[in-house]
Amino acid sequence: MVILFYIAAIVAILAALGVVLQKTPVYSALLLIVVLCSLAVIYLLLGAEFIAFIQVIVYAGAIMVLFVLVIMLLNARRETPGQGSRMARWLGGPLLVVFLAEIVLAAWRQFPGAASPPPLNAGPAAIGQLLFRSYVLPFEVTSILILVAILGAVVLAKKS
Amino acid sequence: MTPVQALDFIRVLPEIVLASCAILVMVAEPFVSARHTAALAWVSLIGIVAAGAGNAWMRRFSGPAFGGSIAADPFASYFVYLLLLAAALTLLGSVRYLETNQVHHGEFYALLLLGTTGACLMVAATELIMIFIGLEISSISTYILAGFRRADKRSNEACLKYFLLGSFATAFLLYGIAFIYGLTGTTNLVQLSEKLSAPGARPPLLWIALILAFVGLGFKVSTVPFHIWTPDVYQGAPAPVTAFLSVAPKAAAFAVILRVFLGGLASAGALVFWLLWISALLTMCLGNLAALWQTNIKRLLAYSAIAHAGYVLVGMAAAKAAGPEAGEGIASVLFYLAAYALMNVAAFILVAHLAGAGERYQEADDCTGLAYQRPGVAACLTLLLVSLSGFPATAGFFAKFYVFRAAIHAHLIGLTLVAVLNSVVAVYYYLRVVVAMYMREGNPRASASPLPWPLGAALALSLVGIFYLGLFPTPFVRLANLAASPLP
Amino acid sequence: MNFFHTHVLSIVLFFPLAGLIPLLFIPGENKNALRWWANIVFLADFLLALLLVFWFGKEPAQEGLFKFVEKHTWIPSIGAQYHLGIDGISFLLIMLTLVLGFLSVLSSWTAIQERVKEYYAMFLLLQVGMLGVFMSLDFFLFYVFWEVMLVPMYFIIGVWGGPRKLYAAIKFFLYTLAGSVLMLLGILTLYFRYHRDTGVYTFNLLDLMQHANSWPLELQFWVFWAFMIGFAIKVPMFPFHTWLPDAHVEAPTAGSVILAGVLLKMGTYGFIRFSLPLLPQASSNPKVVKIMVTLSIIAIIYGALVSLMQRDMKKLIAYSSVSHLGFCTLGIFALNPHGLSGSVIQQINHGISTGALFLIVGLIYERRHTREIAELGGLSNVMPVYATLFMIVMLSSIGLPLLNGFIGEFTILQGAFEVNWRWAAWAVVGIVLGAAYLLWLYQRTMFGPCDNPKNQVLKDLNLREAMTLIPLILWAFWIGLYPKPFFKVLEQPVTAIVERVNPGFGTQQAVSQAGVPSPVSEVTGGRGE
Repeated sequence: MVILFYIAAIVAILAALGVVLQKTPVYSALLLIVVLCSLAVIYLLLGAEFIAFIQVIVYAGAIMVLFVLVIMLLNARRETPGQGSRMARWLGGPLLVVFLAEIVLAAWRQFPGAASPPPLNAGPAAIGQLLFRSYVLPFEVTSILILVAILGAVVLAKKS
Repeated sequence: MTPVQALDFIRVLPEIVLASCAILVMVAEPFVSARHTAALAWVSLIGIVAAGAGNAWMRRFSGPAFGGSIAADPFASYFVYLLLLAAALTLLGSVRYLETNQVHHGEFYALLLLGTTGACLMVAATELIMIFIGLEISSISTYILAGFRRADKRSNEACLKYFLLGSFATAFLLYGIAFIYGLTGTTNLVQLSEKLSAPGARPPLLWIALILAFVGLGFKVSTVPFHIWTPDVYQGAPAPVTAFLSVAPKAAAFAVILRVFLGGLASAGALVFWLLWISALLTMCLGNLAALWQTNIKRLLAYSAIAHAGYVLVGMAAAKAAGPEAGEGIASVLFYLAAYALMNVAAFILVAHLAGAGERYQEADDCTGLAYQRPGVAACLTLLLVSLSGFPATAGFFAKFYVFRAAIHAHLIGLTLVAVLNSVVAVYYYLRVVVAMYMREGNPRASASPLPWPLGAALALSLVGIFYLGLFPTPFVRLANLAASPLP
Repeated sequence: MNFFHTHVLSIVLFFPLAGLIPLLFIPGENKNALRWWANIVFLADFLLALLLVFWFGKEPAQEGLFKFVEKHTWIPSIGAQYHLGIDGISFLLIMLTLVLGFLSVLSSWTAIQERVKEYYAMFLLLQVGMLGVFMSLDFFLFYVFWEVMLVPMYFIIGVWGGPRKLYAAIKFFLYTLAGSVLMLLGILTLYFRYHRDTGVYTFNLLDLMQHANSWPLELQFWVFWAFMIGFAIKVPMFPFHTWLPDAHVEAPTAGSVILAGVLLKMGTYGFIRFSLPLLPQASSNPKVVKIMVTLSIIAIIYGALVSLMQRDMKKLIAYSSVSHLGFCTLGIFALNPHGLSGSVIQQINHGISTGALFLIVGLIYERRHTREIAELGGLSNVMPVYATLFMIVMLSSIGLPLLNGFIGEFTILQGAFEVNWRWAAWAVVGIVLGAAYLLWLYQRTMFGPCDNPKNQVLKDLNLREAMTLIPLILWAFWIGLYPKPFFKVLEQPVTAIVERVNPGFGTQQAVSQAGVPSPVSEVTGGRGE
């Protein structure tokens, strides 16, 4: 179990780095699918089978297909790397590394051994209860969020 | 867990009214002839007023709703009024602007209303997920609004910059929320506060969560060093949008900071205090110093908005330092935000008018001699700037005074001294515009056309408000104190 | 009449503001209507205030020594009140403000041709601010007026000023503002201290004063220096004076008159009204007194020396203000009745003399468009009336007996002498230098041959112009010949303040106290030491 977790986690991190560092958009999108799938594995390990499958079906299946399609439609090429600001390179990078290292270190110190988490009650019924009872308002309000996003897409893409 | 009841819906009435009105405007737009698009503005205005009425009516039904996701309390109610006011003033200021700049009316008003809805949800939310979704709604609306002048490069730049950096910052907030949930097992602020204040409960790693959340929210209120986007976005966005952007999402984010850092996570004392203290110091000083070099009015006001965020943080630090007597500091923050909303929205919509079609005239020098072509307009802008710089008899003074009073009471003498000296420095750059208008000879390039009446009405309302708050602040102070009581 | 009587201060205070509203509706092109209206408002306000002169003596003191008190709650949540009241000190300064306000507006009749409406509007606002400062008994209200007044003055210098007006205006503004925000911190410190002692939030000066003696010395020191910077910049005392020459030189004539005549007095008034009674132990601390007196003496001598060097008439008078105000602060920190009452009298005198001097410079500037002393000369030949009036004013400023300056300076010196003869000795040097630079100025401009052709054609004063100077000259003679009423008005408040700062003073100096009501008799009767 623990070994599987580490494998999935490392794959997820490496693939995520790949998404950012890749110059060709299609590769980035494909690597994103890898990230999502390895997250699904972690969900499985936590005992949340339902979420794991939803993750694969919705994100890796539906949404990423759309992504790839859009990238192909736009015929996106390799990006030409920009200069990038010097400050970002010499200050931002190291700061980011320090910050992440600090979090990892703090977490490591706090939880030295890998303890197996308690089993989750994450079946469809439980999730349904959560979504439509405790979190019904955020859940419903998300529709406004989506509406805004659609509106934005229309406004910014419309010919004037 | 009780099922959803009618009462739950009453407690989110303003948000429901606003969202419905936005949808109405959106749906009605294709059916309104091009000549009558201003009608959409009036529909939106009615929606805002109705939401305000709903907010007033709701007072009798205060309490948590939707299983503690959101609360209808005086705190939320105060901020909802404030946000509606900002939205209404922006709306009045943008009617003519949209015509001269040929911007689509329907979507503009709809996004404005939806952005306000999101901000209202943020201020009322007592649950981290809800806060996050409210924040996203208001942010995404404003990202799009910032890019509304699509023909203009700077507007595009503003939109993209705001979007990218904004998303990055929200990711920080989300990471912070995830940490909080992981450490405590809840996202509800009330439960969080109970869990954290229980004896012996000091979850490890909470400081990481705090810092992450603060970075995310700090971006929204543009505290230094998360302010880099502010001048570019404020300058590039259409001026009425800047008016809205500089007030509504900012005030809402401040409300969230109050709820989260002084409410839910109140027990994490020293770290939060020092975060606030250092941000306050940096934000005031850098905002004011950078503003000294600006000649573009929009950019100048952008840096001034950063500086004002610094003063607000002084009030928050005071509230944090005062411990159990935080009410005074919180009330001062609330009062400050009300005054700030009045002054800033009015200043930006007036600048929108002066900049003329295509926003070509944004430099202080473009206003040279304006006072003798349009004495009323110049006097109006002068009063707004005088209020922003914090002169007595205006809202800006009493707001600052109230914050400084709280800060001295909390023994933050050093920070107050810095704040006070900063407000002296600030006078210099505010006066730069006044100097151009009154004390230089020449003809103004800025639009000297008469004020359109909706803008005039908005400005008159703001000025009355500014002097009312400055001269007779008592009712408002009482209101702010009432609102400050129910944290989280 | 009863309502009028009980609210007389509010009416006098807000009358200019009420006058502002009709002014805004007079079209800007109709310049004469604007001028008439502004002059009428100022005159009417002065006439209203004359009632105070008749009532003042008979009016019983209501709170402490304050008369005509009005008190209403204003912002109860922070304890600020609308609280007005005057004692003898503020009464005299209010009358000075009203007289100088009217005269300066009258003097701008022809001097201001551009933006007339805005000009008068600013003066009306300024007048409200100045009167408010002298009437407020609530610290918060005081601060509001104190700051509000800056804005119109900034505009007056910045819009109607000379070539370097922008620099001068912003310098004036920022200096004064920096001082006053520090003062605000001082005010808040006292406010919270009072709250800690009593559980009540108040800015009420009289309430604060009752607790003043219980405040620890360290707190008093901190607040004293915070106040001191605020007031010293306004006075201006020696190291803080650099804004003054710029502001004076660039301001239009009327602006200079008000600046010198009234605004500077707010600093000294602040010391008398707030620093001394509220922080008695700090103010009377020997070290503090030493510092303040040293700064005053430096100001007296330095101001006079720099005046000697000036080529520009207005700058000369500006630096002479530094010197004269040095006398006022010296008198204050002598901390005895003579010093204090002499200081107040000298403040009035300075308002009269220096105000008149600025008017005189303005008159010549309007004719010749220069203030260079070298450009002028022999003007007494072509402008005899002008020369005569100038001479009287100059002599009053020097401190010639029979004129006002003598009374003020003499009483201050007497006060200083009672404490330490060296102070008086140094200050006398200032008087001698003062005579030197003013007489030299007069000689260079008025006497000698009138060989500049531009000067030979100058017209003498017309009636309006003479009328701006004559009231001041009459007042100067009044103080010079019969100062008793002025000292009488000041006697009670001054004694009360001295009693606070310097308790037991009365018993030590009983002999010299006996003569206070009539210093003139003392002048002849000796000091009683």
